[in-house]
Amino acid sequence: MTSIQMPQLGETIVEGTILRWLKHEGEAVARDEALFEISTDKVDTEVPSPVAGTVTRLLVAEGDTVAVGTAVMEIDDGAAGATEPAAPAAAEAPAPAAVPAAPVPPPAEPAPVAQPAASVAPVASLPDRGPRSQIVSPIVRRLAKENGIDLATLAGSGTGGRITKRDVLAAIASGGPPGAAMPSVGGPTGLAGPARVAPPAPAAPGAGEELVQVTHIRRAIAQHMLASLQTSARAWTMVEVNVEHLVRLRDAARSAFEQKYGAKLTYLPFVVRATCDALLTYPVVNAELRGDDLAMRRFVHMGIAVSYDQGLIVPVVRNADSLNVPGIARAIADLAGRARSHELKPDEVQGSTFTITNPGPYGSIASVPIINQPNAAILSFDAIQKRPVVIDDAIAIRHMVNLSMTWDHRSIDGELATRFLARIKENLETWDFSSELGL
Amino acid sequence: MPRIAWLSEPQGPVPYDLANKAMHALAERRLSQEIPDVVILLEHPPVFTAGRRAHDDELLWDEPEVGARGGLVRRIDRGGSFTFHGPGQLVGYPILHLGSGPDAAAYLRRLEEIVIRTGRDLGIELERRNDVQTGVWHGDDKVCAIGVRLMRTRVTLHGFALNCDTDLSWFDGIVPCGLPDHGVTSLSRLSGRRITVSEVRPLVRLHAASVLGLDLVSAPGWLTETFAPAPAGIAPGA
Amino acid sequence: MSGVAVEAGAAGHGAEPRGKRGDDGQATYLIAIAEALWEEMERDERVFMLGEDIGAYGGAFKVTEGFIERFGPERVLDTPIVEETIVGMAVGAAMEGLRPVAEFQYADFMSSGFDEITTVLSRYHYRAGVPLPVVLRAPSGGGVRASSFHSTNPEPYFAHAGGIKIMCPAFPSDAKGLLKSAIRDDNPSLFLEHKWIYRRIKEQVPTEPDVLVPIGKADVKLEGSDVSVITYGAMVHKALEAAESLAQRGISTEVVDLRTVHPFDEDTVLRSIEKTSRALVLYESFRFLGIGSEVAATIAERAFEHLDAPVMRLAPPNIPVPFSPTLEDAFLPQVADIEAAVERLSTW
Repeated sequence: MTSIQMPQLGETIVEGTILRWLKHEGEAVARDEALFEISTDKVDTEVPSPVAGTVTRLLVAEGDTVAVGTAVMEIDDGAAGATEPAAPAAAEAPAPAAVPAAPVPPPAEPAPVAQPAASVAPVASLPDRGPRSQIVSPIVRRLAKENGIDLATLAGSGTGGRITKRDVLAAIASGGPPGAAMPSVGGPTGLAGPARVAPPAPAAPGAGEELVQVTHIRRAIAQHMLASLQTSARAWTMVEVNVEHLVRLRDAARSAFEQKYGAKLTYLPFVVRATCDALLTYPVVNAELRGDDLAMRRFVHMGIAVSYDQGLIVPVVRNADSLNVPGIARAIADLAGRARSHELKPDEVQGSTFTITNPGPYGSIASVPIINQPNAAILSFDAIQKRPVVIDDAIAIRHMVNLSMTWDHRSIDGELATRFLARIKENLETWDFSSELGL
Repeated sequence: MPRIAWLSEPQGPVPYDLANKAMHALAERRLSQEIPDVVILLEHPPVFTAGRRAHDDELLWDEPEVGARGGLVRRIDRGGSFTFHGPGQLVGYPILHLGSGPDAAAYLRRLEEIVIRTGRDLGIELERRNDVQTGVWHGDDKVCAIGVRLMRTRVTLHGFALNCDTDLSWFDGIVPCGLPDHGVTSLSRLSGRRITVSEVRPLVRLHAASVLGLDLVSAPGWLTETFAPAPAGIAPGA
Repeated sequence: MSGVAVEAGAAGHGAEPRGKRGDDGQATYLIAIAEALWEEMERDERVFMLGEDIGAYGGAFKVTEGFIERFGPERVLDTPIVEETIVGMAVGAAMEGLRPVAEFQYADFMSSGFDEITTVLSRYHYRAGVPLPVVLRAPSGGGVRASSFHSTNPEPYFAHAGGIKIMCPAFPSDAKGLLKSAIRDDNPSLFLEHKWIYRRIKEQVPTEPDVLVPIGKADVKLEGSDVSVITYGAMVHKALEAAESLAQRGISTEVVDLRTVHPFDEDTVLRSIEKTSRALVLYESFRFLGIGSEVAATIAERAFEHLDAPVMRLAPPNIPVPFSPTLEDAFLPQVADIEAAVERLSTW
């Protein structure tokens, strides 16, 4: 069922009058056929149908003046579920980036979210993920066919949401649909296609202003972040962890560790290790929502957010759950170093099942990170600080750290999120890591 | 980055019905992306057109009287009230695809801008009157009427009508644009000298191209021919 | 029609080209071409040269300076201003077993001998069964403020004739090796020397006289992975400059130098497209019906299933090469234009 709203014909046009129904209840309509005529204070027009189907209900009368966005008609297009313009379906692409600030006006053409009925046998078109998301180039079509990739599951990183050859190659490399298009910075192997945000109308700089064009990477990050916010139902939980013994262990072991393994010993490998256990214990947090399915994994590919000169990138430690602390430390050191020198390969920034970000070194004590799509959650490990805490009804000074997690409420509930974090906390507070340092 | 648009300037006064029909046909073809954006500039023989909001009592001469003077009356699908088109008035019909999130208000402002800049080139300061009505004004007098319709929310129809050396006495036959307390004027009256449509055309072309972001090229012959009246004795084509 | 300013300090008459390399042993494009001519003249007595001002004057661009002193007036012929006859003489001499190398003072003047080139030279083997080992040489191309009578890129005209191999090298060592191959080839060749490159580009050039560059083989001058730029002549240098700047922005450009434009190396071009899936064909002759039009059509026909974006061309408009420097710069594809085109393709 598709709901037809009073369209928005301009930023300042807030209402419209139904002049005349052109289609009535029970009548069949074709796609783009005119449904009714409207008049606004600026222009008149007829509103076309976004779908083919049958008009089921007229919700207002001729002559009524209603606010933009008001539902005025319902059309049965043979789709299964009801569509609500406010809550996009889980796997659908995020709404276009430019949403006006005025009271929730929808796009001029209602987004056709419902799928057509099987009996209508339409041409299989791709989900509407942007104005050019329907364009399939010859190489994309061929690679997808030869490798059994379903293009409908890919988010295109090309201009206007087009699926590019790189997107398909990345999907093939990661053995399935890739994570949302994050650019990799490669030397000889080249750059994964940066996602392009539709550029706003160019404005001249004001007095004292200088316009600096953003880089491809920045654009890609921008699109990814916005898309993430529009995809997940974000919630956030934080726990406080007593890492006193961890701090002591690390201080004691760090120089020997660096000598033996050639990598610095930070707190991050311990956190990764503790988190991998929690992820395998609570696999929903490690899973990926794909349409109506939750892809459960028995492995952890840990994304580690790295800050570098071009912005932000998330290289992935594959099978982090099978590594011990030295192994994780080495992997992180290698990936971070190569990220900073722009030597990561495209498949090293794809395929994470969970992501950890560590803004602690820069001083923050709590963060609300944005989920790295298509993960279900992201964990932030902030700064360790000495704080007064209560132990056995007395005040003591201990090294404390906040672990905060942004999680997707579509697949995870609060209890699970809290249990998951509690598990990490327990691991960090009680495990004896010294045995696996091998020193 | 300007996009290509076809410019057609049919010769002579083009009968209103013919132009209206041709414009709608072109708009359909623009909707289905068979043709690029189109801009038509022409003149009409005398005709009063009434938009959706027009009241019958805003036509002050009855239809036989209008006919006796050599004019026609037509009710059409644009918004707005009564207005007049006739010789000495440059009428512009941009047929543009505004995209799927059209800003009709911004488009109307752009049409106003084209005429304001044209006036400036002629040494006449014209203005918008958002407090009164869309159109281009000099004080309380309107020099250019603007009325637009969208086809299926995306393609523009109708446009603007700029009085150059129009015989303004025709406007006595209506309450112009439904505004009894406002007057009508022309570029000639405002400047004190005769400014013809021919003088204004190149200015309007220039400003239409830059304001609308178009690269105007000559329309193919078949398009301009759809605005040509059929020779006498031959039935008009479909 | 005046002579081009001569490089100060050029060696005088009688000095052979190999003595004209820089102290670092590098040879300019012009010297490399002169070396090729000299070495082939030394190698094979049947090789001789004819053209306007090539003997006593040493050539309008001084390519053949020192030749008449070494090889004598019977092997270095000064002709009148008679392009048609120059070609005709070359055809006749070739029929009689000689191996002529005919110089046109500017490629623009070749069209004075158009019939002799396209109807006779390119087709006579078909008619008479006699191979014609003729090499036509001419300075072509613009960017030197010489306007439309001295800046022509004639390769499309003569490629269409059919029976002539056409080479447009961009680098000195390619120029030397290709000219030698052309002189040793028994078929008619047109060797176009881009005048902008003559004294601007130099590099280490082989000194061994038998180092040849095969006719009909392209060369990947820069490897890349995002976009292929297929080009030739002076545009190769602009493409390389654009590629460097694009690399700073994270776009990896592959530059393929066709070297021979007719027949062009389809396999190397297609292999590049298979890698990058995006093609920009860049050429200096007019966009309409240029060599690039043929290359673009071939890519579209044979590499369709590898394409991730439309095949694009970048070339000057079909107008006379302007006199005014500002207009000529606007007319020719510049580095910024190439960068913009590659960037558009890479984000298509």
